[in-house]
Amino acid sequence: MLEAFEAETAELKAALEAQEDEKKKLAKALKKQARALKREGGSEEEIARLETEEDRLKDEAKILKEQARSLDETRDEPYEALVDAVKELFGPMPGQKKPVLIRQQYGQTRWDRTLVKLHEVMFEEEWDYSNPDAMGVLIEKPRIEKFRGTELEPFFQYLEEHIDDMMRPKTTFYWQFITDTSKDSHIFGGIWPEVLGTIYLTLGAMIFAIPMGVIAAIYLCEYAQEGRMVSFLRICISTLAGVPSIVFGLFGLAFFLNTIHISDSKSVLAGSLTLSLLILPTIIRSSEEAILAVPRAYKEAALGLGAGRWHTVMTVILPAALPGILTGVVISMGRAAGETAPIIFTAAVSVGAPLKIWETLNQPTPALPWNIYNLCTEHEAVDEIRHVQYGMVFTLVAIVLLLNLVAIMMRARISKKLRG
Amino acid sequence: MSKTANMNLIMSDAASRRQRISILLGQSFLFLITSLSTFAVFFIFYFILKDAIPFFKLEGFREFFTSTHWYPSGSPAEFGALPIFIGTGLVTLGAVVVAVPLGISAAVCLSDLLPFKVRQIVKPLIEVLAAIPSVAYGFFALVVFAPLLQNHGGVILSTGIWLVLGPILALLVIVIGDLITEKLREKIPNPKTAGAIIFPVLGILALIFLYRISTNLLGIEISSGTNALNVSIILGIMALPTVVSVSEDALQAAGRELREGSYALGATRAETIIKTIIPASVSGILAAVILGVMRAIGETMVVWMASGNASRIPEPWYNVLQPIRTLTATIAGDMGEADHVTGSSRFHVLFAMAFCLLAFSFIMNLVSEIIVKRSRRKLGK
Repeated sequence: MLEAFEAETAELKAALEAQEDEKKKLAKALKKQARALKREGGSEEEIARLETEEDRLKDEAKILKEQARSLDETRDEPYEALVDAVKELFGPMPGQKKPVLIRQQYGQTRWDRTLVKLHEVMFEEEWDYSNPDAMGVLIEKPRIEKFRGTELEPFFQYLEEHIDDMMRPKTTFYWQFITDTSKDSHIFGGIWPEVLGTIYLTLGAMIFAIPMGVIAAIYLCEYAQEGRMVSFLRICISTLAGVPSIVFGLFGLAFFLNTIHISDSKSVLAGSLTLSLLILPTIIRSSEEAILAVPRAYKEAALGLGAGRWHTVMTVILPAALPGILTGVVISMGRAAGETAPIIFTAAVSVGAPLKIWETLNQPTPALPWNIYNLCTEHEAVDEIRHVQYGMVFTLVAIVLLLNLVAIMMRARISKKLRG
Repeated sequence: MSKTANMNLIMSDAASRRQRISILLGQSFLFLITSLSTFAVFFIFYFILKDAIPFFKLEGFREFFTSTHWYPSGSPAEFGALPIFIGTGLVTLGAVVVAVPLGISAAVCLSDLLPFKVRQIVKPLIEVLAAIPSVAYGFFALVVFAPLLQNHGGVILSTGIWLVLGPILALLVIVIGDLITEKLREKIPNPKTAGAIIFPVLGILALIFLYRISTNLLGIEISSGTNALNVSIILGIMALPTVVSVSEDALQAAGRELREGSYALGATRAETIIKTIIPASVSGILAAVILGVMRAIGETMVVWMASGNASRIPEPWYNVLQPIRTLTATIAGDMGEADHVTGSSRFHVLFAMAFCLLAFSFIMNLVSEIIVKRSRRKLGK
């Protein structure tokens, strides 16, 4: 490979070195002459002339030496650049030591990245800054120009023609994506820690929000006398519903973490509590609606049979309102699963192992919404992991839409029941 | 059950007192839980304010609201949040421009034009739009929409302007045309032909206007896809479901009688919608717009990911093609760095911003509540 090229540079170098030697010899001869003149007491002018001539020759010899050295250095440059580019495309060459990072042990795993890297093999990029007023202009030079006439010339055409067969990945359905843990910071592997974290956060929020929300709804519908107090409570609920989600996050940080120190650092517990506040208004409203939708006759019948108020609520009204309440719960589960802003400061971290259930009390977790943000803005190799980003977004949207679908179906069933 | 009833009937004084006490206790327990969950809002106000006050004490109000230099990490640190406020206002305005015309026309279609069966399918679909997590919208804005905008900016802008200005201009043409024919009716003996001339002329004028604008926009090149326009469009789409469903409710609430009365007076469907139903439900529509604004202003992930996060005022101020920065994005982005130095101005300034957001959304909420209440009273419901 590259033999012709190497031979050419070697020849050039030899010629340069020969010239250098010649110049050096001449300079030496001049020096001798000058010395002899000095000893014999020749004219000053002549000596000076000889000395300047000597200096000039020495300088020229130096320049020639420099040229030869730089030739030595640049000789392999285009070749090594090509080797690097090819390594990026195909991974390390056979027989070479395997790199430590998994991402460097293989070539490109995705077709769009293959095309990008192929382009880098085929073209050299240079930036032209000749116009100081404008931004630099990108110039792409075909790399093949540097290898014209060498044995590597056909390589480029071969690569262009056969890249499809060599690199086109097979499409398969990789369902373990959801249950695998990530390898080499999400370049390989799945998203199980994130999925699990989302499940923990959502269920945790539900554990706090459902009892509080349903009890509040029962109180507002069945016990409270309409008056100033109740309308005040309602204003509070609607204000709570209008609080921006990022403010919930700050509140969670200021209250749960910095004031009552519910855990030492961010934790799933703190995140769940914050999320539960966020979905509380939704749960209260939908439960209220469900309770109000229970026909009056049920309640009157129960009271008429001698049941107390509490008894009526527990045995008649709540069971009748349950599907409606559950619909609201399912919808707010979707909301809790997808919210990012409240968990940024209270629960989410970018990297982490799947948590055991008791660890949720004091440890932060990765979660789907946060990691989507993290992977597509802050990750070191944003372009390399588009597949993981899309996969995560798809998983999250699928979870949320599935929950909403369940809610819509439940609502349809309820309205059918109420009509029939 | 009968057993309880019997016991109630033959209860001794002591037992009845005990029962009354237990009922009282139970009720106060319920009240406690309810007030706990509703008073969470006071907790939020208190704790945000508690951490916001130190900032105002240390730095005062003036710099925060009027300076344009935002270098919280510099020394001396500068906390001029004016560009951030303007950025927030700009994207919110943009979202309103995108969401309101589309949303109101969609609501009118849903409530008055489309058959009931279509409405039953379309409405849940629009609600699903609201259910999609904001980070998914943000991902879309950053990964899909921003490159599109960067590469095909002109085409997207000119189609967008048709979508947004189209409904507005159509409405304007009808209203202005009506006004003119009304005026002419007294002077010209044959008003019908006048109407037949005026409407097409106005319509063609509007079309020419739109065409001129869209061809002008076609030539625009966008240097960076992560800018105020991108965020405005996505926020507009996110606010759309709120605007549609609330204003559709308002249009429905106008009632059958009003519509039938209008038809009985000989009005066409378009006249009924524009002259009767929309004016009758204008306060409900206003409430819908306010709720949409709240949704847009409080949104974090989309603006954080796709607004460019540059804290300077665009030049000119309405230039939506430049990157901006919003309050929510600043809070989300800066807290990670400020958290290590809890207690400094850098930490508290974020709470000051959060307080501004909170106060704004609280006021907006109250206003919309009042509007809805008043409109209900006006419609007699």
